[in-house]
Amino acid sequence: MKGIDPDQSTMAGTTGREMKIEFAPELEAFRAEVAEFFATAPTPAIREAGRKTTSVFAPFKECMEWHRILYEKGWVAPHWPVEYGGTGWSVEQRFIFAEEYRKADLPPLLPQSLGMVGPLLIDIGTQEQKDRYLPGILNGDDFWAQGYSEPSSGSDLASLSCRAESDGDDYIINGPKIWTTYAHHANRMFMLVRTSTEGKKQQGITFLLLDRTDYPGMEIRPIVGLDGFPEQCEVFFEDVRVPQSGRVGEENDGWSVAKHLLKHERGGGNAASPTLMRYCERARAAAEKTPSPFGGMVADDAVFQREIGELEADIASLGHFEKLAISGHEIARDPAFPSMNKTINSELVQRASVLMTQVSGVDGLARQLETLRVGSNVEPLGSEFDLVSMPLCLNSRATTIYAGSNEVQRDLIARTVSGS
Amino acid sequence: MDFSFTDEQQMLRDGVGKFLEKSYDFDARQKLVNADAPWSADAWQQFAEFGLLALPFSEEQGGLGGSISDCVAFAELFGKHLVIEPYLGSVMLAGSALAQSGHAAAEEWVEKIVSGEAVVAFAFEEGHGTASPELLAMTAQGSGDSACLTGEKRLVHAGADADAIVVLARKGEGGPPAFYLVEAGADGIDARAYTTIDGRSAANITFNDVAATELEASEEAVEKIIADAIIVQSAEAVGAMGALVAMTGEYAHTRKQFGVPIATFQAVAHRLADMKIAYTKARATLIYTTALAESGAATPRDIAILKGQVGKLGRAVGEAAIQTHGGVGMTDELSVSHYHKRLLACDTTFGDHAYHFRKVGMG
Ligand SMILES: Cc1cc2nc3c(=O)[nH]c(=O)nc-3n(C[C@H](O)[C@H](O)[C@H](O)COP(=O)(O)OP(=O)(O)OC[C@H]3O[C@@H](n4cnc5c(N)ncnc54)[C@H](O)[C@@H]3O)c2cc1C
Repeated sequence: MKGIDPDQSTMAGTTGREMKIEFAPELEAFRAEVAEFFATAPTPAIREAGRKTTSVFAPFKECMEWHRILYEKGWVAPHWPVEYGGTGWSVEQRFIFAEEYRKADLPPLLPQSLGMVGPLLIDIGTQEQKDRYLPGILNGDDFWAQGYSEPSSGSDLASLSCRAESDGDDYIINGPKIWTTYAHHANRMFMLVRTSTEGKKQQGITFLLLDRTDYPGMEIRPIVGLDGFPEQCEVFFEDVRVPQSGRVGEENDGWSVAKHLLKHERGGGNAASPTLMRYCERARAAAEKTPSPFGGMVADDAVFQREIGELEADIASLGHFEKLAISGHEIARDPAFPSMNKTINSELVQRASVLMTQVSGVDGLARQLETLRVGSNVEPLGSEFDLVSMPLCLNSRATTIYAGSNEVQRDLIARTVSGS
Repeated sequence: MDFSFTDEQQMLRDGVGKFLEKSYDFDARQKLVNADAPWSADAWQQFAEFGLLALPFSEEQGGLGGSISDCVAFAELFGKHLVIEPYLGSVMLAGSALAQSGHAAAEEWVEKIVSGEAVVAFAFEEGHGTASPELLAMTAQGSGDSACLTGEKRLVHAGADADAIVVLARKGEGGPPAFYLVEAGADGIDARAYTTIDGRSAANITFNDVAATELEASEEAVEKIIADAIIVQSAEAVGAMGALVAMTGEYAHTRKQFGVPIATFQAVAHRLADMKIAYTKARATLIYTTALAESGAATPRDIAILKGQVGKLGRAVGEAAIQTHGGVGMTDELSVSHYHKRLLACDTTFGDHAYHFRKVGMG
C-alpha cells in the first residue's frame, strides 16, 4: 500500500487493482452541481419534512414527493446498476451526493422499495416481476412495506407462522404480521409466509410480493410509537387470496431469498456516515448558541469537544469503512461485513442523538407533536434543533433492535472469529 | 447505623402503595396523561388524606414535621407508578420556599398547599436548563412587597395551571438567588403550556414587569431546598428503575425466541444483571445520601454524586429495558418507554449527569 499521494490523490488498493480517488476539481464541480440541485429542486414542504425527520423513516407524503423529483432528475437510485436506472457514479461521487444530501437536511428516501425489494428483483426477480414492479419502485408511484416480523417471531424470524395455502393459481394467507413500517401508507408489500411445516423451520418459508395492500381480508392497524407517532403497523390476514405469480424464487425457498435481500438491507448500499456527521454538525451549531454552565458556550467547552471529537472520529472510521466497501474492497466480502456495518452504524446513531439531547437540555423535554407535523403552524417552543433532538434520541433506540438486533449481529460476527 | 425505613415510614409506603396499585395503574395513568385536565384532582386529594401534602411542613404550619427520608419513602412509589402530579414543584420546592420565609402571605399559601386547596408552581429552569442556582440569569428589580420580575423561565411544572408561582431569581444585578411569589394571572405573565415527554403539564413563562413579593431566604436555605428536591426526584427515578428491572426480568423469562426464554441467552442475562447492578448502586447512593441529608451532613458533593449517578444509571436502565423488550419496548402502549422518558427527564432537570460528575471532579 502506497498511501495517498496528496498531489495525485491516488491510492494503491489492496485488491491489486489501482484505486483512484478522483481529482479534486472534477469532484468539486460535481459537488457544486449536486448542491445547486438540492438548493433549488425541493419544495418548502419537502425541506420542512427533512428538518422534521426524527427517525430513519421520513414523513411519508413529502418523502415520496421528493422521491419523484429525484427520479425525474435521474438520481433516485445511485446504488442501482446503470441499466436499471442507477447513476454509475464513483465511490467519491456517491459520498459527495450523500454528504450534500445531508447538509441540505433533505428527507432520506425510504429504504424498503429502493434499498430492499428493488435490488432483490433486479438480482433474482422474474422478467415479468421486473417489468411490473421496477418502474413503480423507481418513479415512486409505489411504496412497498416489509412484512416479515410476527408477534412470536422477531429475532427468530425463521419460526414465522403466517400461513399461505396453495389453492389453484393463488395462495390463501392467514395470520398476523407486526412492526410493518409504514404499512398504512404502502400500496404494495413483500412478505414471508409459511408454506410448509415439514423439515427445518427455514425450509418451509416462501417469499411473496403482494400487488395490493387492500385485499379483502387484509387489515392494517398503526401502532403508536414512544415518540407519539404511528410508524409501525400490525397487519392481519384472514383468508387473503393472492396470485402465486407474486412469488420470488421457489416455494419453500423464501429463506434464501430473504437472506439475499438482507445483503442489501444491512449491507450499506447507502452510506450512513454522512447522516451521522450531519447530526454532529447540528449538535455543534446548537452548542455554539448554548451557554455552558462552566462559562462560555458549550461548543467551547473542553468536555463537550472531547465527547463530540470521539464521536466524530468513530463516525469518520465508519465513513472509511463504507467507502472501502462501496469501492469493492475485500472488507465488503468479509462474511461479518453486513453485521459489522449494522452494529457500528446503529450504535453511533444512538450516541449522536443522545449527545444532541444533552445540548438541548430541558428544552428537549417538551412533547411537541403538533409542531412536528409537516405544515404545522405551531411554532416550536425552543429552536428547531430542540424540537427534533429528543424524538430522534427516543426513536434511535430502535436501531439496535430492528434489521436483526445487535445481540444477534454480535453472535454472527463472533462466529467469524471463532477460529474454525 | 440503620438505613431501613422506620415502622411509620413502612406504614406510609404500604398505604400509598396500595392506593397507587389500585387507582394509579398504568392504564389509569395514561388516561390521565391523555385527558384535558393536567393531573388528577382525585389523586391529589388522596395524597392530602395520606398526609403527603403536609409531610415536609412544620407542625406550627399545619404540617406533619416529616423528614427527607419520609419523603423518599413514598417518592420511590411515585416513581414506580409514574405519578404525574406536581408534588415536587408544589410541595417540595414552592411549598418549602414559602414555608421558610415567615412571610404572612406565604403562610396562607402553605395552608392551602397542605389542605390540597391550592397548587403552587416553582419556576427555576432557564435557557437549556439551570444546573444550579448559581447559574440563574433572571434578576428581580426592587425588593420586599414591591419587587418586579422580567425574564423567562422554562419547564415550569404546572406553570399554567397553578394558583401561584414561586420564582427563583437573583436579588438585583449579580445578587444572590432569592424566591419571589407571583399570583397566577398577574399582569405581564405570558405562559405557553405544554405536556412533557414524561406526561406532565408544564409551561414556558415570560415575565414582563410582573409584580412579585420577595420571600426572605438565605443562600443556604435556597441550596437546601434544591438539594432536598434533587433527593426526592432521585427517589422517584430509583423507583422507576426498580419497576423496569422487575418488568424486564419478567418479560425476559416469558418471551420466547428460538424455543427458549430470551433470558437464557447470555447477552440478555448479562444485561439483566447489569440493570440490577445499576439499580442497586443507585438505590444505595439514594438511601445513604438521604441519611446524610437527614442528619444535616450532606455536602454539595454528596448531592452531585447522587444526581450524577441516578441520572447516568437511570438512562442505562431505561435503554437496557427497551433493548430487552425489542419492538414492544418502542411502543407507546407499553409502560417501558414511559419509564425511559421519565428517567431521561429526571437526568435532564437540575443539571444532567455530565454536569454533576464534573462538579464532583472539580472537588
Ligand atoms: C422501528 C422498527 C421498525 C421495524 N420495521 C419493520 C418492518 O418494516 N418490517 C418487519 O418485518 N419488521 C420490522 N421491525 C421488527 C424488527 O425486525 C424486530 O423488532 C426485530 O426482529 C426483533 O424482534 P422482536 O421485536 O420480536 O424482539 P425479540 O426477538 O423478542 O428480542 C428481544 C430481545 O431479546 C434479544 N434476543 C433475541 N434472541 C437472542 C439471541 N439468540 N441471543 C441474544 N439475544 C437475543 C434481542 O436482541 C432483544 O434484545 C421493526 C422494528 C422496529 C423497532
